[in-house]
Amino acid sequence: MTTPLIEGRGLGRIYGTLTALADADFRVMPGEVRGLVGSNGAGKSTLIKILTGAVAPTSGTVSVMGEEVRLGDPSEMIRRGVACIYQHSNLAPAMSVMDNVYLGRQPTGRFGRVNRTRLEADTRALMARHGMEIDPLATVGNLPTVKQKEVEILKALALDARVLLMDEPTGWLSAADVTRLHRTIRTLKASGVGIVYISHMLDEIFAVCDTLTVMRDGRVIAERDIAETTRPKLVELMVGEKLARDSAAAAHEARRPRGTGEVRLAVDGLGKTGVFRDVSFDLHAGEILCVTGLIGSKRTELMRVIFGADRADAGSVEVDGRAVAFRSPGEAMAAGIGFVPEDRHRDGLMLGLSMTDNLIMSTIPRVCRSVFLDRTKVAATAKRLVSDLAIQPPDTDKAARLFSGGNQQKILVGKWLNLGPKILILDEPTVGVDVGAKAEIYAILRAQRDAGAAILVVSSDLEEVVTVADRIAVMVSGRMVAIHDADAIDRTRLIEEIGGAA
Amino acid sequence: MTALVPTLGRRLAPHALPLAMFAIVVAFAISEPAFLKPDNLIGIVRQVAITGIMAVGMTFVIMTGGIDLSVGPVLALSGVIAWFSLDAGAPLLVGIAAGLSVGLVVGVLNGLIIARIELPPIIVTLAMLSMVRGAALIIGGPDLHQIRGQEAYAAIGSGNFLGLPISVHLFALVTLLMIFVQKATPLGLLVAAIGENERAARLSGHRTRLTKTALYAICGVGAAIAGIVQSSQVHTASATYGEFGTELDVIASVVLGGTSLMGGNGSIARTILGVMFLGIMNNGMNILNVPIDIQLIAKGAIIALSLALSEAKG
Repeated sequence: MTTPLIEGRGLGRIYGTLTALADADFRVMPGEVRGLVGSNGAGKSTLIKILTGAVAPTSGTVSVMGEEVRLGDPSEMIRRGVACIYQHSNLAPAMSVMDNVYLGRQPTGRFGRVNRTRLEADTRALMARHGMEIDPLATVGNLPTVKQKEVEILKALALDARVLLMDEPTGWLSAADVTRLHRTIRTLKASGVGIVYISHMLDEIFAVCDTLTVMRDGRVIAERDIAETTRPKLVELMVGEKLARDSAAAAHEARRPRGTGEVRLAVDGLGKTGVFRDVSFDLHAGEILCVTGLIGSKRTELMRVIFGADRADAGSVEVDGRAVAFRSPGEAMAAGIGFVPEDRHRDGLMLGLSMTDNLIMSTIPRVCRSVFLDRTKVAATAKRLVSDLAIQPPDTDKAARLFSGGNQQKILVGKWLNLGPKILILDEPTVGVDVGAKAEIYAILRAQRDAGAAILVVSSDLEEVVTVADRIAVMVSGRMVAIHDADAIDRTRLIEEIGGAA
Repeated sequence: MTALVPTLGRRLAPHALPLAMFAIVVAFAISEPAFLKPDNLIGIVRQVAITGIMAVGMTFVIMTGGIDLSVGPVLALSGVIAWFSLDAGAPLLVGIAAGLSVGLVVGVLNGLIIARIELPPIIVTLAMLSMVRGAALIIGGPDLHQIRGQEAYAAIGSGNFLGLPISVHLFALVTLLMIFVQKATPLGLLVAAIGENERAARLSGHRTRLTKTALYAICGVGAAIAGIVQSSQVHTASATYGEFGTELDVIASVVLGGTSLMGGNGSIARTILGVMFLGIMNNGMNILNVPIDIQLIAKGAIIALSLALSEAKG
């Protein structure tokens, strides 16, 4: 039996009270392309970080070609031939291809002068060995993205990489370029390199991988040959059996498809060139509509257009029967729309400002007396929201950055509840939030719905979707392919639709 | 020396500026008792009033992560325009308004280009520095324009009121007004919000571009006020006032006051501390007859040292 190129046994990583990875076994054989899949927070990135040496596991061992290695040391892993190609480029865009490939290790002549003739010859030889063709003298920044990926791969190969970890390698590539990258991967595979391919795009997993490892909740829950699995089975593995239990429990909650029956938001034929097209749906007062789909199905982009943060170039939006075309979030807010963005650190909170300042940020005019801030009203508003939402600790002067993820999310939700929105849009409202805070956020959403708000939730988390939705809409590659009453769709169907196998 | 003792250093770091100021005041007072005379102390405030008024407006701009390098030429052009208006027989208030409008126009232009076209503030205001200086030279020529027979105008820079120079009153007024704006109005909160996270401020429904434009306008008007004070103080207007280095003193004051050049955290009140610190340094070294070349080197070294100290808290 051949020795695995890399093999991790019993790997675990604990951060404080959070178990990011538990008892994970993982290996890659020479010439194998192994897919690594799982939803956000499943533990994929922790596993990858252990394999690149970026973090040391709290338990377990890693062997490279049968030899146990020192853990938590990136230079050791590079020396052993384990390289990682990240989603975002790590190249120097203003330098040539060959300079990038041999960055810091260029062959030198007398007085340390770089021997450019040899550098070019080395680069050409390396490319010939791996069946790639790029002009060694071209400037990296001028190359198309897929060629830049190849330069990154070459750079890894120049270090004699035997194992290549690729994290969402096709994030920025067009369909034709994806095919080209997959061709390169097959060439590498033929020369005995082992590849770990991490992607949310199931099409790609099925196109290029030989085997796959499925992770969920910090554990490796399945290993499969690609030939013996199907897309629905894979999605089911990714989301888990717990879903079945939770959806059964949620079925006891009264669902209110179409709420009061009054249409709050009517979207008709909405499109944005190259992003999404022909999206139509109605959102009613008193209902929660969940929009689900794979990452990259353009749900966030759709919500940003509805909220006036971006512009559509086709179709129409009506609020309470009146046509609207918001040019800014401020206009959408004036019409009664609130938007809790997905990335709370980048788009949601002012981390350095106090919780109070964050809570009043979208409702400043209400805490003013003429043109001045009324500190009494400010304090009263903050106090009321803190107690309504049970934000912990209730220290209103504390900077937002010092709160836990779940409480930061509650601050963000509270900021928008204070607007008293008729329509509340939440993008992935519980990402990186612990189980307790999740349940609290769901309760807040239900309370808002019962008070007559129309709620639109974007979520990739099927567990969440079946828990809170009154109706479920599915987006695939920028199109809304179906809308169902939450009670009327069975899980298998939903999973199939999300995967695009309608 | 506190920096060498980590725990003590960390505790004192937020107060590094007041402490350093205190130390320097004590040092100057010991080596030259005249330093502490009331006349000298008032003189210091009078000397820093011009830089101070500009630094107050600059604080908000820097808090949003921006910068305004064009304040020097705006100071010059504002004085020149005020002089031409008064010379042509305009009433005092019209002359002042004409001077201030220079700052408003340049500030709004800076703001619009930065906020709408999203060019880097350092480039936009550097280009504006050059253009405004050129405009001042076209209008004012290379000559010094004597301000004669304008008692009221001259009083702005050299008159006294309640025993204090009017320029000091003006400095105090601008400062108190802007401290009030920062502490008690939505604009103050919005400046901090934009500096912390401009994307989030926009997604919270704020008109971030309009606000940024307004802040550059405020900064420009601050420079124009400084120009009027300057020209009335020396009884002349010239296109060459506000020479290279003016903007550096203003920016150094703001940064010494603890406002980060990356934006976010900042305070007008602390900027005033920074202004006073530089003023005391200049005055003390003058009293001690330190040659100007040494003064420049010492000033640079002290700015770098104070910043290193305040960074040490992280």
